[in-house]
Amino acid sequence: MTAMLDDDRLSETFAALANTTRRALLARLAHGEASVNELAEPFDLSLPAISKHLKVLERAGLVVRSRRAQYRPCELDASPLRDVSSWAEAYRPLWEERLDRLDDQLRQLQRSSTPPEPRRIEPDQEDRT
Amino acid sequence: MTEDTRPRDAVVIERELDAPPELVWRMWTEAEQFAAWYGPTGATVSVRRMDLAVGGGRLVGMTMQTPDGPMEMWFTGEFREIVEPERLVYTEAMSDAEGTAKTAAEMGMPDDHPVVTEVTVELTASGGGTRLVLTHAGVPADSPGAMGWKMALDKLVAHLAGA
Repeated sequence: MTAMLDDDRLSETFAALANTTRRALLARLAHGEASVNELAEPFDLSLPAISKHLKVLERAGLVVRSRRAQYRPCELDASPLRDVSSWAEAYRPLWEERLDRLDDQLRQLQRSSTPPEPRRIEPDQEDRT
Repeated sequence: MTEDTRPRDAVVIERELDAPPELVWRMWTEAEQFAAWYGPTGATVSVRRMDLAVGGGRLVGMTMQTPDGPMEMWFTGEFREIVEPERLVYTEAMSDAEGTAKTAAEMGMPDDHPVVTEVTVELTASGGGTRLVLTHAGVPADSPGAMGWKMALDKLVAHLAGA
C-alpha cells in the first residue's frame, strides 16, 4: 500500500468524523448494531438525511451494512480509526525533528571538516577587569 | 518490494543527507555524537551504555524540563544487526535508569504501545551524500490484542460524541 493511498484514506476518515451527527451515530453503533430507523430515532432529521450521513461513514469504512437481514442493520468497523491512532504515527513528528537535528549536526561537522573532537572548555580568564 | 508484508504498525521516514554514509554512521554509533542530536529539543540526552556489537546493550536517558520539574525517561535495548556503514538495527524498550524494562502502561503510555520496538537505520551512498531510511516498528509478538483496542475505541467514540 502506498503512502498516498494511506493519506487519502486518513483524509476520508477525518472528514467523516468532522460532523456532530455522524459522531453521534458512531457513538450509538459502539453499543451494537442498529437499523437505520433505530439510528434516526433520537434525531430531528429525515430518514434520507440520516441515510446520507451513513453513506459517508460507509465510504470511510467506519460503518458496514449487513446483508443478513432485510432491514440491513448498520455495524461499526473500527479499523480505519486504528490507522489514525496507531502508536507508530505518534513517533513520526519526533523522528522528523530528530533527523532535522542530525542534518544540522552533520553540516556543522562538515564545515569544520576535521574529525569531531570533544569540545574543549576555555578557561575563563578574559572576563577579569 | 516487500511493502505488502511491511508491518502496519511502523513509521518509515526517508531523508537525503549531505554527508557520506561513514559520517552518518558515526552519528548513530558514537555515544557522544548520538547524544548531541537525539533530543528532543530542550532535553538532555545521556548515553549510559552503547556497546556496539550484536547483542550489545544500549541504555539512553532523556531529561526534560517540565513545569513540574525535571522528567527522566530511559530506553534500554540491544543491537541486533551491525553492517558498517550500511545497516543498523536495535531494539528499544522503556526502562528505569538501570535498564530494567517497563511496560508501556507503567510509563503512562497508551496500552496499545508495544513493549519492545525496533529501529532500523539503512544508509546508502547517493551522489556524494547519503540516503537514510529509518523504520521504527513494533515487535510483532507484542502487537495489541483486539480486546484492548475495542475498549480504547469505545472511549474514543464516547469522547467524540461528547465533543
